[in-house]
Amino acid sequence: MMRKRFLFSLASVLLLSTLLLAGCNSGKSMEGSGKVTLTFGTSQSGIPRTGIMQTMAKEYEQETGVKIDFQVVPDAQWRDLIKVKLASGEAPDIFNVDVDPLSMPANVRPEENAIDLTNEEFTGRMSEEILPTVSHNDKVYGVSFAPTKIWYVYYNKRIFQELGIEPPTSYAEFKAISQKIKDKDIIPFYQAPASGWYQVLPLFETGPNYEQTTAGTYEKLNNNEMKVADMTQLKTVIEQLKEFADLGYFGKDFLSNTVEAGIEAFGQEKAAMLLRVPGTEKEVSEAYPEMQDNMGFFVMPWGDNQTIGVNPGGSAAMFGNKNSKHPEEVLKFFRWITEHDHLQRVFDEGEGNLTICWPEIEPKLTQDYIDYEKNHEKGTVMQAAVKYIDPQWMDIGKDLSGMFAGAMTPDQILQNIDKRRAEQAKVLKDEKWQ
Amino acid sequence: MNANKIYPWYFSSGAIVLYLLFIVAPALLGIYYSFTDWNSYSSEKNFIGLEHFRTILAGDPTYLLFIKNTVLFTLVTSIAKTVLGLFLALLLVSGVKAANLHRMIIFSPQVLSFLIVGLVFKSLLDPNNGFVNVTLRSLGLDVLAQNWLGSLTWAMPSIMAVDTWKGMGYIMVLFIAGLLAIPRDYYEAASIDGAGFGQKLFRITIPMLMPTITIATVLNITYGLRVFDAVYVLTNGGPGNATDVINTAVYSSFAKGYWGLGSALSTILFVIMAIISFFIIRLMNRKVEY
Repeated sequence: MMRKRFLFSLASVLLLSTLLLAGCNSGKSMEGSGKVTLTFGTSQSGIPRTGIMQTMAKEYEQETGVKIDFQVVPDAQWRDLIKVKLASGEAPDIFNVDVDPLSMPANVRPEENAIDLTNEEFTGRMSEEILPTVSHNDKVYGVSFAPTKIWYVYYNKRIFQELGIEPPTSYAEFKAISQKIKDKDIIPFYQAPASGWYQVLPLFETGPNYEQTTAGTYEKLNNNEMKVADMTQLKTVIEQLKEFADLGYFGKDFLSNTVEAGIEAFGQEKAAMLLRVPGTEKEVSEAYPEMQDNMGFFVMPWGDNQTIGVNPGGSAAMFGNKNSKHPEEVLKFFRWITEHDHLQRVFDEGEGNLTICWPEIEPKLTQDYIDYEKNHEKGTVMQAAVKYIDPQWMDIGKDLSGMFAGAMTPDQILQNIDKRRAEQAKVLKDEKWQ
Repeated sequence: MNANKIYPWYFSSGAIVLYLLFIVAPALLGIYYSFTDWNSYSSEKNFIGLEHFRTILAGDPTYLLFIKNTVLFTLVTSIAKTVLGLFLALLLVSGVKAANLHRMIIFSPQVLSFLIVGLVFKSLLDPNNGFVNVTLRSLGLDVLAQNWLGSLTWAMPSIMAVDTWKGMGYIMVLFIAGLLAIPRDYYEAASIDGAGFGQKLFRITIPMLMPTITIATVLNITYGLRVFDAVYVLTNGGPGNATDVINTAVYSSFAKGYWGLGSALSTILFVIMAIISFFIIRLMNRKVEY
């Protein structure tokens, strides 16, 4: 009798535990009222900081009754977090992922995790440049608003004029003007290592320059026929960054700087130069009206680069979770947000991008940009053309911070990049690394 | 089996099932995964033996740096928390005014999340506008102002200092309880025999506090070995990898999707903790004779 009771109790506890576990995972996106709630996971910079997406989502809720619950995570964590969420089956109904044609398939594993959007009407309206970054095996999985991305060095025209200096066209000139700015107790160039990724941009955005100087570099790297450590030009860029740090051109104690604080430093004229994307003028002059018409730009001259680096992807795209309980509602939201008028609103009320990856939306590029692009060659940035660079972006950021602090050498940074490339190639069973 | 033997099992069966389900099974699974190439890029899990352990212990010097940092952090913070906790406890039981208020104030950081503590200290230690450097500069001590969390020299000591500040209150409370449990008679007898403060401290207080010291040391060491939040919030392992510890490496491995490797790192940490705890308890639990 006692034994029966014991077994009965044991079975009850097991049953209770099972129910408890099952209960943890049920009905998480369905509210008590019966309304559908779609969870939308994104990094901070994955959606416009103006909050336009959230505003439009509220209007969408009023229109359809479907609520969009935004879960915004700091940039540095999201890239890693979404991988774990996808693998554990805990990913939101809609999720943003930074995309490029090389790493998107590995990061998202779209066939298992993303809703196929190939036959949706809106995919035919997206720019052809962006489609490869959100596609895999001839199927489209993502929706993006991001334009092809270009990073320019923005400069304060007034400071340049007062000091009688011109935008540089080589590293030597860049160094010379930086010294003149520093002599006036102004930080020559705003750097933001605390954000983890910003300091990495000069290394790979100047990739077209490496490719122009030694044609076939990208292909050799992808075929594992050469090492990143063999790229003398890349090593030069890293050494120049270190030299800038040592000469105080990034300012004193710049290791604690963040990207967000860059606009303030530039707008308040504490820093004379800032690495940003087109549209920065609008963002800066809205916060600091006295900076209106006071900003110019030039291509980053590290490694004597004079080629504009273009990243066809690199920014966030939305994916529908294939394992969502509400795939039809996800599709309906995608159809709604990509209607012409809604795209126009995302563009107009976003944070100042001058283009969007939907040709039907008129770009706002000024004549300055159009002329500048006419006078300079363009090429694809290294992280969008060479495998296993983009996934280790934050690691390289840490290594560079270590170098600025004196813990690492440029050679060690290059060796680490190769080591991590080999690690990832091994995990992905890349035949070129076998 | 008679009723007396069945009853303990009967009443603890629920707890045992939950313990097996939520503690033992995940731990065993973690150990199993450390022998596989499990990662986020593929649904396959292949048994690869000791490969991850070879990478960590013999193949990659970075991992040895993480282990070294963890051990260093543990040693320094354990000693600092124990010494400061004991000092504060002695001070507060010696009849200092408003002892309860001081006790509460010193203990209060313990109840705060390290996320909050970390953000506050990041602000205080900011090299440009932080309270610490601003104060030093205003006192004319510019030479002492440092990039506390951004320099190779100061980043790890800064984390250790913040962690010690947060944790010493808890250790102090343990010691206060231990001190109050020591019978006053011993001290009175020692006073009659002419013993001074030092003799009382080393001949009575510390020997009588050994069980508490053992608990405090084991707690400090186990906390130190599994430190994560302090490092993650204050420096995220930087500059470079200078302040990375085993658990930030575990986090980083899992985040990158290298789950087998992350599990192997966790297994190594588990073994280190088990060995150290075992020896400390053996060493410090020796019988004290008076």
